[in-house]
Amino acid sequence: MPWYFYLALKQLFPTGRRFPFFTAISVLSVCLGVMLLVVVLAVMGGFGFQIRRMIVDTEGEIQIKAQGLIGDYRSVVKRVQAVPGVAGATPYAAGILMVQYENKPAFPQMRGLDMASVENVVSLGRFVTAGSLDALDDDSVVLSEGLAESLGIPVGATLEIYTPLMLVQRDGGVILPHSVKVAGVLRIGHQQLDSSTVYCTLRLAQDLYGLARDVHGVNVRVQPGANEDDVAARINAILPPNTRAFSWMDSFADFLTVLRLEKNMMMFVLLFVVLVAAFLTMSLLLVLVLKKTREIGLLGALGASRRQIAFCFCLQGVGIGVVGTAAGLALGFTVVRFRNDIVHAITRLTGGQEMMARFYQFSELPSHIETRDLVVIVVAALVLSTLAGIVPALLAARLKPVEALRSE
Amino acid sequence: MSDAILSARGLKKTFLSGDRRIEVLRGVDLAVGAGETVAIRGESGSGKSTLLNLLAGLDAPDAGTLAWDGSPDTGAARRVTFLGIVFQSFYLIPELDALQNVLMAARIRKAPASAEMRRARTLLARVGLAERADHLPAHLSGGERQRVAVARALMNSPRLILADEPTGNLDEQTGGAIIDLLLGLSAETRTTLVLVTHNAAHAARCSRQLMLHGGRFA
Ligand SMILES: Nc1ncnc2c1ncn2[C@@H]1O[C@H](COP(=O)(O)OP(=O)(O)OP(=O)(O)O)[C@@H](O)[C@H]1O
Ligand SMILES: [Mg+2]
Repeated sequence: MPWYFYLALKQLFPTGRRFPFFTAISVLSVCLGVMLLVVVLAVMGGFGFQIRRMIVDTEGEIQIKAQGLIGDYRSVVKRVQAVPGVAGATPYAAGILMVQYENKPAFPQMRGLDMASVENVVSLGRFVTAGSLDALDDDSVVLSEGLAESLGIPVGATLEIYTPLMLVQRDGGVILPHSVKVAGVLRIGHQQLDSSTVYCTLRLAQDLYGLARDVHGVNVRVQPGANEDDVAARINAILPPNTRAFSWMDSFADFLTVLRLEKNMMMFVLLFVVLVAAFLTMSLLLVLVLKKTREIGLLGALGASRRQIAFCFCLQGVGIGVVGTAAGLALGFTVVRFRNDIVHAITRLTGGQEMMARFYQFSELPSHIETRDLVVIVVAALVLSTLAGIVPALLAARLKPVEALRSE
Repeated sequence: MSDAILSARGLKKTFLSGDRRIEVLRGVDLAVGAGETVAIRGESGSGKSTLLNLLAGLDAPDAGTLAWDGSPDTGAARRVTFLGIVFQSFYLIPELDALQNVLMAARIRKAPASAEMRRARTLLARVGLAERADHLPAHLSGGERQRVAVARALMNSPRLILADEPTGNLDEQTGGAIIDLLLGLSAETRTTLVLVTHNAAHAARCSRQLMLHGGRFA
């Protein structure tokens, strides 16, 4: 180990009883900056990731839609299923309903599922919190948890359903609602879906919306490891004209762009925290150089070159950067790991847990850390700390041994 | 004198202090042979430290030439092995214990192996600090610190030791012990010693005495 490396280490972490305050303070400042970046970017990345998961969990990675309705959906599903990379496909019908329970109305989304194939794409079974999906037939529905709670509907109760079609077909008479039983309750974990959705069989949805044997679209599940965009392109090649497959990224392109922009802005702003930490490191190292002027003179007298002396101080900046970044990553990952406990503790103190769930669409704080973001954070922290070491290093190298030794 | 370890000719040094020029050295000639011990005396402010810094290659003269062992190379790289320096202040590195302070001289030359480690311990034992090897400078007395500095100056087996008032910060008895050490070690290793001192008794123990006066040797 060259002497400047050794001395830099010893000056950062002296043996013996003296607590290295200078080192601790600079390491802590870098650490806090890095931690902040990791936590904020993880949570912001989590929002994007959560949205992807929600879409993929409930609709598959690829959606096939037509201008208007898809007529011969059985043959479409069959051909799509034969495309390499496709794990499963299921048709669906969707729309808005009015439901009424004990004179309380609500206007939920409707999703008609093909019970024969839906599990190939979406494992809805694991989201069931009451009742059962198996009990779902053409005279029953499954409700999202929020809807069941807000109207106070228990499993087994009977609901009345009105559709827009009934307004058209009224012919001056009284509107007769459709009565269905509640077979179960689902909780997917996404506020928007959970607050107000009615799941029913495809047949019932087709009846309610007068679709005959047509559907609104087909959801496709991609095989693990297959690229969604590639598979979507392959599907498009075999689809009839007017019918197109979109990967979830296509469908949410604008939203994802905004999310990414927001994250990059956040990263840019928070990097200033690391910059401030670097300035702190620099000023502490400058004080160190001044404090050690006579020792620097001595090193020169012992035969150390100016470049080596500069290295010795620059390395201390690097050392602070490395230790601070490592500690910041560790702390950041720990906070991310226990984020929900932390948030719950805070909301318990301040109230407003419900509010948060409603406002942010998620009942739990999501997190997702991208390698790219981590690389940027680590590189930025290390580069800034190194730069913070260079200024004091140049100052130390400029000292002439004689003058340094003469200094009082 | 071809076998001179240290030879200086016509060394001049002038300092500018504000708009006053202080001609400190006005042509110093000096030749010191191998194994010689030379004492330099002079009033305070006569330029002894200035001269020693020039001889050590730490500062450049305004005029004159300097050679170590016949070669004009007095750069940092050569200083590591050619020269050992002891100052009035001890200049130990506070983060390092006594042993590591001695080893620091070796480190600047190359990463120390077990041979260097052994030599550093031997030197510490020679200056009477075998038991204090792992003590930090803060826990050593002034005399003990100067002994560590002496051991450090000898670490790389230099040809020449320059000592600038090594006893200046020490009491009479402790100072005497340091001079004993320096003279004893230079005799044992046949190392040349140039000693700047105010103390006539210390100077008298050297093989040659020089008096710096008016920027020249009288
Ligand atoms: N860098 C400098 N700038 C200006 N003047 C200087 C400088 N270095 C030394 N001097 C002057 O040169 C003169 C000689 O200084 P030097 O330190 O060599 O004296 P000295 O003989 O070692 O004295 P002492 O016995 O007190 O240590 C002094 O008058 C001092 O003020
Ligand atoms: Mg002096």
